[in-house]
Amino acid sequence: MRGRAGAAAWAVAAAAAAALPLAVKNSFFLHVCILVLLWTALGEAWNVLGGYAGQVSFGHAALFGFGAYVTAILYLKAGVAPWWGIPLGGAAAAAVSVPTGLIAFRLRGPYFSLATLAVAELAKLVALNWEWATNGPTGFLITSLPPLTLFGFAVNWESKAPFYLAALALAAVSMGAAAALSRSRLGAFLVAIRENEDAAEAVGIDTVRAKVLTLALSGLLAGMGGGLYAFYFRYIDPDAVLNIGISMEMVFIAVVGGLGTVAGPLVGAVFLTAVGEAVRERFQVGHLVFYGLFMMLVIRYLPEGIWGRARGLAARAGEVRRGAARG
Amino acid sequence: MGALYAMIGIGLTIVFGVMRIINLAHGEMVMLGMFAAFFSQKLWGFDPFLSILVWAPVMFAAGVLVYRFLLRKILPGGELNTLLYTAGLSLLVANLALLAFSGDYRTITLQYAVAPMRPLGIAVPVALAIGFGVAVVLTLALWLFLGRTDLGRAIRATSQNREAAVLMGIDVERVAAVSFGLGTALAGAAGVLLAPSLYLYPTVGELVIVKSFVIVVLGGLGSVPGAIAGGLLLGTVESLGAVYVSSTYKDGLGYVIFLAVLLYRPSGIFGVGKS
Amino acid sequence: MALLEVEGLTRFFGGLRAVGDLSFAVREGEILGLIGPNGAGKTTVFNLVTGFLRPSRGEVRLDGRSVAGRKPHAVARRGIARTFQIVKPFPGLSVKENVTLAAFLRHRRRAGAEEAALAVLDRLGLSQRAATRAGELTLMEQKRLEMARALATEPRVLLLDEPMGGLNPSEVDVASELVDGIRRSGVTVVLVEHVMKAIMRISDRVLVMHHGEKIAEGPPAEVVRDPAVISAYFGQGRA
Repeated sequence: MRGRAGAAAWAVAAAAAAALPLAVKNSFFLHVCILVLLWTALGEAWNVLGGYAGQVSFGHAALFGFGAYVTAILYLKAGVAPWWGIPLGGAAAAAVSVPTGLIAFRLRGPYFSLATLAVAELAKLVALNWEWATNGPTGFLITSLPPLTLFGFAVNWESKAPFYLAALALAAVSMGAAAALSRSRLGAFLVAIRENEDAAEAVGIDTVRAKVLTLALSGLLAGMGGGLYAFYFRYIDPDAVLNIGISMEMVFIAVVGGLGTVAGPLVGAVFLTAVGEAVRERFQVGHLVFYGLFMMLVIRYLPEGIWGRARGLAARAGEVRRGAARG
Repeated sequence: MGALYAMIGIGLTIVFGVMRIINLAHGEMVMLGMFAAFFSQKLWGFDPFLSILVWAPVMFAAGVLVYRFLLRKILPGGELNTLLYTAGLSLLVANLALLAFSGDYRTITLQYAVAPMRPLGIAVPVALAIGFGVAVVLTLALWLFLGRTDLGRAIRATSQNREAAVLMGIDVERVAAVSFGLGTALAGAAGVLLAPSLYLYPTVGELVIVKSFVIVVLGGLGSVPGAIAGGLLLGTVESLGAVYVSSTYKDGLGYVIFLAVLLYRPSGIFGVGKS
Repeated sequence: MALLEVEGLTRFFGGLRAVGDLSFAVREGEILGLIGPNGAGKTTVFNLVTGFLRPSRGEVRLDGRSVAGRKPHAVARRGIARTFQIVKPFPGLSVKENVTLAAFLRHRRRAGAEEAALAVLDRLGLSQRAATRAGELTLMEQKRLEMARALATEPRVLLLDEPMGGLNPSEVDVASELVDGIRRSGVTVVLVEHVMKAIMRISDRVLVMHHGEKIAEGPPAEVVRDPAVISAYFGQGRA
């Protein structure tokens, strides 16, 4: 859906989504929704680098975890409220991603991906060992959230609603950022880099700068996701926020949903998270089994992802209709 | 330990060398080997080390099947797609294992391996020593296979120059299937050998895969002697690191070296790898 | 002062000297042909001049300012563009988008870039194919796309790496005309080519390389008779 009609449709959907907690009170359902929205944001964060620029990172958990820790530490040690802390966590992750990117982007393709794996593992080790900063394996526990009144109502942190709205906001911001990127000059450059990096350099595109900027955006979004996670789950430790599973989930959501599309991560998150949580309820462990299965199915049969394929079909259907109308 | 790392590394590097596949599911194959040994001991009383004779061929067959039916269709999609596909496979297998075996940690106890041996006054766990010995034997056998047999030479040829191999009449598809089977068998065998010495749990693959890549990159992607050297090197660095630095930093050391090699000597420390 | 100057350019790969102490100058508005047997180092020279490789030693100057060792995008910005021997289109993108991306170097806004891109496509006879995916073009069209993309960066010097490779004789004539047309539009050209007919026809001067060194330089007719050149191509005892 393009242009004004498309934007209007999204606005309506967002408004409807925002009103959801008024209608639905089921705690588990809202919890799943929060997860879906959080993973949408994380998926968008990854997709910006992986889908648009074609740089597959297996280490994004490091950015997520960094944001989570910064936000938690700012709150617990300096009393910085979440609504400042989360963006700051994101900014911190973005900042730390720049030097990392400058080094890592010297590598291409699978070498880059392997390097991101190593960086993420290193981040986890640092978190485990630098106890003076991160409390090591003990992690941080957030026992209470600051009191807040909005529009005359005291926010009840025990209910899911405020977190749902925060997650919705984050997802909306992420999708908006991805959309803006895809229409911008930087977005076009990223596509060029993805299609053929040498050629992109040859026509004057500063590929390192483009990739680093994109990584910073990706870090900002992932870091904010981390901050939100910290306040929602109220407990973070290296294994929870810096483990390779989180990196993989981000990859999977973006790929299954649709690489390089704005709505792809949303579709991927809905699909995978819903299925994953259902499995987790039933079996407690192994909830990622469908992630693996769907990833394999998608790569084999739907390389453009679920949303990508849907868009392709819609476009073809549109052509057929136009052809029939003309003929 | 280094020798076992080396075995895992060899499997991974052969698969990369012949087919340019970076198999992220390699760690899960080691895990399956470990669990196979565990269950064959628990259910049928097989000695884990002897059970290699059963499990290695089984893993080989499994590898060939995975290649034939799953991977082959994906390869034309490019390196990246294949990478993602193996990532999916890795997650699938690990989680199926979680569902089947539960996440509990398990161990294998061997009657004859309780007390450590003490050659030259250094305490060496018996299980690890036997594992090392078998690994060395297997690696030697593999070396002979690659060097002396026609099939082994075909594998090396395809790894060096696929187009030329095709032109020489080598059935590259068969070589690929065999290589993948071999890689899987090596991983599984290493898992069997490791089982008595480590905690077994379904997600151990995560740990293994990262180390495997460190080894393979250190030694040069695609190079079998490199993988051997890399495995031994990593094993030594970790052991020494654990003694002299601290056991937590030893892992970090491996990653730092890995990144350094990737950045500055992508063809491995010895310069024999391919990009 | 020549537009493009190369001085003492040298590049080692480990122990192998791919380019050795190469010096030449390209005058504004001329077409310089660069020939030599396979492995002489011609593409390496291009890579060195355009920043895809760093020189081990030596200097490259455009309009008197050094460009040696800069990254390719910076070199493109300065005004040296290139095509690749094996074409590197952006396969999933349309022809128009391919060229527009290059035009962004000189036009910040999309509208301006697209306009410039369409103009270049027109000059190179690719307007009909503007909406086609680059991956679906014929070889000749892809070569033209390479040139169009390079030209969209509005270079002072254009380095063409074997643009005639794989073309049949009538296509070679068309391509030669194109290259000449590019020169007439004010772009200086350095051309690596194996197709002698083309080189002889359109080059003002020719430079011959062998084993990474310059062995002859001058007008095409002279160079072709140079004994060193003949023995490089055909071996000793034929001059």
